[in-house]
Amino acid sequence: MLVIKDLHASIDGKEILKGINLTVNAGEVHAIMGPNGSGKSSLASVLAGRENYEVTGGEVWLDGKNVLDMKPEERAREGVFLAFQYPVEIPGVSNINFLKTALGEIRQHHGLPPLSAKEFLAMTREKQKLVEFDAKLANRSLNEGFSGGEKKRNEVFQLAMLQPKLSILDETDSGLDIDALRIVSNGVNKLRSKDNAFVLITHYQRLLDYIVPDVVHVLYNGRIVRSGTKELALELEDKGYDWLKEELRVSESIQ
Amino acid sequence: MTNQVATPLYNKLSAAFESRNAADLTPLREAAFAKFKAKGFPSVKEEDWRFTSLVPYLDVDFSVTAEAAGDAGIQQAVDAAAIEGLEAYRLVVVNGRIHSGLSVLPEPDEMHIGPLQEVINTDAFRAHFEAEDHTGGNSFTQLNTAFFTDGVYIEVPKNVSIEKPVHIIHVNTASVPTLFHPRQVIVVNRSAGAVFLETSVSLHPKQAMFFNNVLQVIVKENGECTHYRIQDNAPGERWVHHTQVTQHRTSRYSNYTFSLPGADLIRNNLELKLDGTATESHLYGLYLAAGNQLTDNHTAIEHIHPACQSTEHYKGVLLDNARAVFNGKVFVQREAQQTNAYQQNNNLLISDKATVYAKPQLEIFADDVKCSHGCTIGQFNNESLFYLQSRGIGEESARKLLVEAFMFDVTDKIEHEPIREHLQELIHQKMTAAMAAGA
Repeated sequence: MLVIKDLHASIDGKEILKGINLTVNAGEVHAIMGPNGSGKSSLASVLAGRENYEVTGGEVWLDGKNVLDMKPEERAREGVFLAFQYPVEIPGVSNINFLKTALGEIRQHHGLPPLSAKEFLAMTREKQKLVEFDAKLANRSLNEGFSGGEKKRNEVFQLAMLQPKLSILDETDSGLDIDALRIVSNGVNKLRSKDNAFVLITHYQRLLDYIVPDVVHVLYNGRIVRSGTKELALELEDKGYDWLKEELRVSESIQ
Repeated sequence: MTNQVATPLYNKLSAAFESRNAADLTPLREAAFAKFKAKGFPSVKEEDWRFTSLVPYLDVDFSVTAEAAGDAGIQQAVDAAAIEGLEAYRLVVVNGRIHSGLSVLPEPDEMHIGPLQEVINTDAFRAHFEAEDHTGGNSFTQLNTAFFTDGVYIEVPKNVSIEKPVHIIHVNTASVPTLFHPRQVIVVNRSAGAVFLETSVSLHPKQAMFFNNVLQVIVKENGECTHYRIQDNAPGERWVHHTQVTQHRTSRYSNYTFSLPGADLIRNNLELKLDGTATESHLYGLYLAAGNQLTDNHTAIEHIHPACQSTEHYKGVLLDNARAVFNGKVFVQREAQQTNAYQQNNNLLISDKATVYAKPQLEIFADDVKCSHGCTIGQFNNESLFYLQSRGIGEESARKLLVEAFMFDVTDKIEHEPIREHLQELIHQKMTAAMAAGA
């Protein structure tokens, strides 16, 4: 589904991604871990098309389509969804109208008619239940005055509504108490299918107790330096990142 | 003569005034014209006109005598001006004169509506008109007093509360560039209540037109008046609106001024004199300016007596080369203790070439008051834009959504649902047109 080849990107002239290679197939869940400043969130931003990143090399393909040629809204319509690490508050834009507009534009892109008010309402109810999202929040201004946990749950609610192919969750678990984490994880687990894929960017192994990944990658200094099964996450949890940094330093000096 | 903008128009006006029918030359008009003559049109040397030079807007060979209106096209224009879903009375004013045939008015015992000319010479009117007329000092209002024809006089009898709004449709039929002086007076008597909505339409748009409009509103003790004005004007039009409001004790007045792209110049002077205790006033404004438009809002609220409350919130969105001015004066006199005055002005610049001059101005002489003011000038929040785009919403739609969201805390204050929907639709249309033209 997603193929990233030797992706390089920089911000303000500073190279952050230094050759990422990653393949995610439909039905898979990948976790990307790594210490602060390793480029995890930058990778998410570049995939979603954030303007201030400059792609200096490499390719990104989504089901055979060149993602890097697309504007952010085109990527979204093709099925890329980024759950923001820091969702923005937009007073005056109602959560529901925002979703109606977004869903309408995505459906239009796929040649589908807009949902009727009744269908949309039914879908909203169903998805709210699925991710345990309070109906009162759904009718408020987008994220305005939401707690950190409510904002993250709203991201997952949007994910449920828009039904993307590829969901990238950028530290959706950070700042969540255990109940909220369970709710968010349950939501994601219910949304998993053989046709979609998830990339979980996380700092903490804790999330992976709830959402079990197929592959775990470690991102360090702009590169994926190790990939493995979920046991790799446990190892990182135990030992931290220092041993990995040490190993890399040794191997680099040998080269 | 030191401050004036000398234009051929000034000389033309002098000649026109001299040659007027003697019956029309009341002492009131003569005095007003003498004052105008002495001062002329305001220039940028006057503080209140510092950012609004009238020179380019007056430099047209305007006709100063309004032509008689035929009826052609008026009916359609009036029908088109109706707001969908709004149940309202309709007062049609053609070139400053009431058009009874097309108007649908409340019963006379609910509301008196007639030409101002009819009442202006009665002792009863003069007694309160002259007492309430504190529009002196402004040459545009003097000019209006000297020249207005007919005018509109509305009086709501005491204890009568009319919930259905009165939609005042100003129709301009001039086919050549003309300088008009429409004049209206609204008196809401003790414990009476009324809602007014003003819109205007030109039958021959896209020509230079200058409207020097003066409206006086008097809300008597415990009265309530809600006043909407939607300025959706045609290119070429220049508007100077002077709105003078006097509130007596425990009265309530709400003003909503919505200025949309279109006219070359919109200058709104909105002045409130709170001439009694415990009054309540709300001033809400939205200005959306595009092209080379200049939209200038000058508001002044004078707190004279104790325990009056005023809230003011003006928001502006500027596209293209548009310029906007916001000047909000709040005076709190020494006697006006327990004043509650709140003012907020926010501006969103969408183009690098747009300019806004914002000036909150508070002068407080009482010591037991709550007053605040705030003013912001900002640009699009790119993070918000990206957030919307990342959900599949196209850039243009996202920008429109954000503009509507920016204006929301003012549009949300509109109590009449159909007016709110109409305005939101207008904003949407104007944004679409402005963005298409800018792209």
